[in-house]
Amino acid sequence: MPTKIILAGEGGQGVQTVAKIITITAQRSGRNSSYLPGFGVEQRGGVSLAYLQISSKPITYPRFTKADIVVAFCDRAIPTIKDFLSRDTLFIYDSSAISDKSLEKIKNLVSNYLAIPALALAKEKLSSKVANVVLLGGIITHLKEINYQEFEKTLLEEFATKIEKNPEIKDLNLGALKAGIEIAEKFNKEETPFSGIEPPEIKTNFTKEGISWTRFPEYCKGCGLCIVRCPTKALQFSKDSGFLGNPMPIVDMEKCLGCKTCELICPDAAIKVEKTP
Amino acid sequence: MPETALPKSWNKESKPHKFCPGCGQALALKILGAAIDELQIQEKMIYATDIGCSLLSWSMFDVDTIQTHHGRTLPLSVGFKKAKPEAIVLSFTGDGGGYAIGAQHLLNTAMRNDPITVILINNANYAMTGGQLAPTTLMGQKTTTAPGGRGVVQGKPFKGPEMLAQITNEDAYIARGISSNYKQLLEMYKKAINNQIEGRGFSFVEVIAMCPVNWHTNAQESLDFSEKEMTKIYPIGEIKCPQK
Repeated sequence: MPTKIILAGEGGQGVQTVAKIITITAQRSGRNSSYLPGFGVEQRGGVSLAYLQISSKPITYPRFTKADIVVAFCDRAIPTIKDFLSRDTLFIYDSSAISDKSLEKIKNLVSNYLAIPALALAKEKLSSKVANVVLLGGIITHLKEINYQEFEKTLLEEFATKIEKNPEIKDLNLGALKAGIEIAEKFNKEETPFSGIEPPEIKTNFTKEGISWTRFPEYCKGCGLCIVRCPTKALQFSKDSGFLGNPMPIVDMEKCLGCKTCELICPDAAIKVEKTP
Repeated sequence: MPETALPKSWNKESKPHKFCPGCGQALALKILGAAIDELQIQEKMIYATDIGCSLLSWSMFDVDTIQTHHGRTLPLSVGFKKAKPEAIVLSFTGDGGGYAIGAQHLLNTAMRNDPITVILINNANYAMTGGQLAPTTLMGQKTTTAPGGRGVVQGKPFKGPEMLAQITNEDAYIARGISSNYKQLLEMYKKAINNQIEGRGFSFVEVIAMCPVNWHTNAQESLDFSEKEMTKIYPIGEIKCPQK
């Protein structure tokens, strides 16, 4: 039976890179492998999927309905991967990126899991861009038939051109891979609860006498149209992020006229300005 | 604190919608949502959509929706209108569906003065497939299939409303708006839909929309290109407005 793996994350998180490294390494180690990328019709902002299979026998069809290993990189991937979970599935997830609320929804479906705080670890010790490689470390711990050295070799080849430009990238990636493996090997299900993070509180409503300005993080894509259109330059990007992870605008109420220009130009209906009595 | 800024006619379950950050088409649809709310036609209308980025709007509204490919949205809408004349039919298409592969349908619908409302998005490229040359691409504008910029070989930009104004009769409403001008576009939508409700005939609104992803522009550059460069070739305004 082939080992079936499905990876899911936001476009741009490096889901396809991880999938590519696994499938090339499997081929090199004399296994058969198949890799099928899958994303929606959107050019940006969709969930990026990768179907992987590794087998000692030929693989007949690249798709499947239940997976042996399910890897979730982000919150929005949870509804997509839900259908691939079965009783024997190993669920690997980024416990520093996925919220408790999302995990609660699939709690009954998951019996075996591995929680890796990939994003937090990568941000703290390395760079947030290698969070995907930390998760790759977690995956390869469970692909015992393939040698670790082979993974390292493919990883360096994949980033060869980038390493040439910036040699630091080599250490970052190798460090991330090792960190991922270390966490996965030490992981004990009994000690670690099936939990994620509490999403940060974001202030959405700003008021002053006569004007109420509200932003909706669940809709804001961070396009910046409101910022360039504001006649008094009352808006600028803040540290808070919208649902895609892009920075959201914040208002300086001292300058706000309540003219609604930002509300009218927003393609996502993520801003509401109201005159209050 | 307000609960939501979404137009009432938008389907709340499908939001956030699937359009890219800063998309002008999403903005045009938000304004269309406001027009539907103001005219209170949500229960009486049919929304027909085409393939291309316009397809991403199939779950946009909480109204009955039909869809078909490659410009056939117009004949489909006309068929629906003939079978159920009391329905208000809004047909939504892109410049590819309306001016290229489905140009014959647009021409013949306009010539017959079929009483439907057509909204066409002009973003100067084929956006969903990655920014190829469209009939509306400006002269010299670079696209993936015209890397040197549009030249003599590809011909001149296609002026849809001006052409339709020539072939339609006096009862047709033809206008061109821009998605970044909320109030003007809202008025155009309302007039176009009213033209259908009052039984005068064909109505058509072309909407100039930004496409930051395929133009490779930031927020300011997208607004500048659509408002300054595109409007030089595609002037904004009502081209044909029937007298009441």
